[in-house]
Amino acid sequence: MIWPALKLSLLVASIATLIVSVIGIALGFILAKRDFHTKELIDSIFTLPLILPPTVTGYYLILLLGRRGLIGQYIYELTGWTVTFTCQAAVIAASVVALPLMVKSARAAIESVDPKYEIVSYTLGKSELQTFLRITLPLARRGILAGIILSFARALGEFGATLVLAGNIPGKTQTMPLAIYEAVISGEDVRAQILALILTGVSVAVIYITNKLSRPKINI
Amino acid sequence: MLSVKTKKGIKSNGRIAIVLDIEFNAHKEITVLFGPSGSGKTTILYMIAGIVTPDEGKISLGKQIYFDSTNRINLPLQNRRVGFVFQDYSLFPHLTVEQNISYGVNVNTDRAKCRKAREILSLFRIEHLAGQYPRELSGGEQQRVALARALASDPAILLLDEPLSAVDIATRSYLLEEIISIQRRSGVPLIYVTHNSAEAVRIGDYILILSNGRIAQEGKPLEVFNTPQSLEVARVVGTENILMGRVLEHRASEGITTIDLKGCQLMVPYKALPLGTQVTVGINSEDIIVSREHLTQTSARNVLEGRVKSIIRDTEKTELVVGCGVDFKVSLTAGAIETLGLQPGIQVYLLIKARACYLLS
Repeated sequence: MIWPALKLSLLVASIATLIVSVIGIALGFILAKRDFHTKELIDSIFTLPLILPPTVTGYYLILLLGRRGLIGQYIYELTGWTVTFTCQAAVIAASVVALPLMVKSARAAIESVDPKYEIVSYTLGKSELQTFLRITLPLARRGILAGIILSFARALGEFGATLVLAGNIPGKTQTMPLAIYEAVISGEDVRAQILALILTGVSVAVIYITNKLSRPKINI
Repeated sequence: MLSVKTKKGIKSNGRIAIVLDIEFNAHKEITVLFGPSGSGKTTILYMIAGIVTPDEGKISLGKQIYFDSTNRINLPLQNRRVGFVFQDYSLFPHLTVEQNISYGVNVNTDRAKCRKAREILSLFRIEHLAGQYPRELSGGEQQRVALARALASDPAILLLDEPLSAVDIATRSYLLEEIISIQRRSGVPLIYVTHNSAEAVRIGDYILILSNGRIAQEGKPLEVFNTPQSLEVARVVGTENILMGRVLEHRASEGITTIDLKGCQLMVPYKALPLGTQVTVGINSEDIIVSREHLTQTSARNVLEGRVKSIIRDTEKTELVVGCGVDFKVSLTAGAIETLGLQPGIQVYLLIKARACYLLS
């Protein structure tokens, strides 16, 4: 029961990080560059999972996506499928709790890029998208990379929202933190220790490797 | 031809500090926009480039309308084809010199892009810098790369915002020549913003003096600098001697009007003003000759006796302050000061041609 949990954890955290990176960078860009009056409200809503207990976030997700949920009922009506207690639910839970970290990091990183570089790019005839991809993003890469690492770490350690939305089904939704929890309450100390050590080891390795990769060749 | 006629209130700390009310045309040459710091020069460039939106008015380059408040036209800056060189150059720090330049090249194929970038590198004689990053370059090199990048995008107009303010004096004149030669070869009209009069005179085919939010005078740089038409312009162009006085007498047959400066008298070219009229006289510090002896056989109409009050030395020139009842500033070379043995307290005579004195209306 060690390998399936580890594999599932890495898979869920990786997919969640991918989703969070795309959505987080896009949201961070909009929050950094656009002015509209609901801006700070939207920022607050996306920050909420950072403050709320993950169990509450998970409960909200059930209210939203459950079989009788706000959106979930229509999905169920149309497809006869519901997300709760599936491994997709684990991905959604991990994504939602990791997203605030990504949005915050991306917004700060994009805001820290001197707008003059973007203006120069515009005067050179480049569109906003070209400018974002070739100037803003590379110049903001350190902050964005930090956001991605944090998001991955947060997704890997996700427990509360996953338990509420995805349950604790070994081989299907039982990620490492859930497996550790189960080992502890059923008194399997050795298994708990091995699992905890592996999770710690994987986390340290990920952060170490990413740090190494992200060390820039040039200092800006 | 660039044609600008706009109004814009510039805010500072939430309040409108200056109202720009600008109207000028710039032709296929180098036009200098000259004015003190904070006079709104950069804002005018920003309005032309489309970085700042005017409150009202019209800006056009040839047939292309950049901005027109009555017809609600505001061309996005991406479509204006302006080559902009910022004061700090703003080279992309994560790209090499060659990448910075080829970034601006707007052609379809990679090969054509590479060829154009190489062409521009050699035009600016910076092939040896191609692989370097901006932080590895000197100020002068960065300036050339910034100009090269601006030109790479095939602009319809070049806008340079005090491009030499971060460059050491020795490199400055060399770069000025280079900007002129690049402009002549490319034929792209160029607007050059500066508050340095030497740069303005050297580079400008035409000059616009900006003061209090409007163009106070325009014309050929030397003419404008030598004969400012108003006290305001004299202050802006840095006429060193601005003296207040009253009309004392006229000698129309000699072509002379004498001005009483309260302390000494000055002969200036004849101007039919009622006696007693208060006037302001401007004299450039370069136009005054210093002599240790009292010369009588001289064409200079004014020979004023005075004493050296102080000697001001800075990197660009040496200036003498001479008290003759009123203080005159005289620009001299360090060699002349040494040869004449000038030091504070010494008696000297100032020779000033009447023609060197002009009345500021």
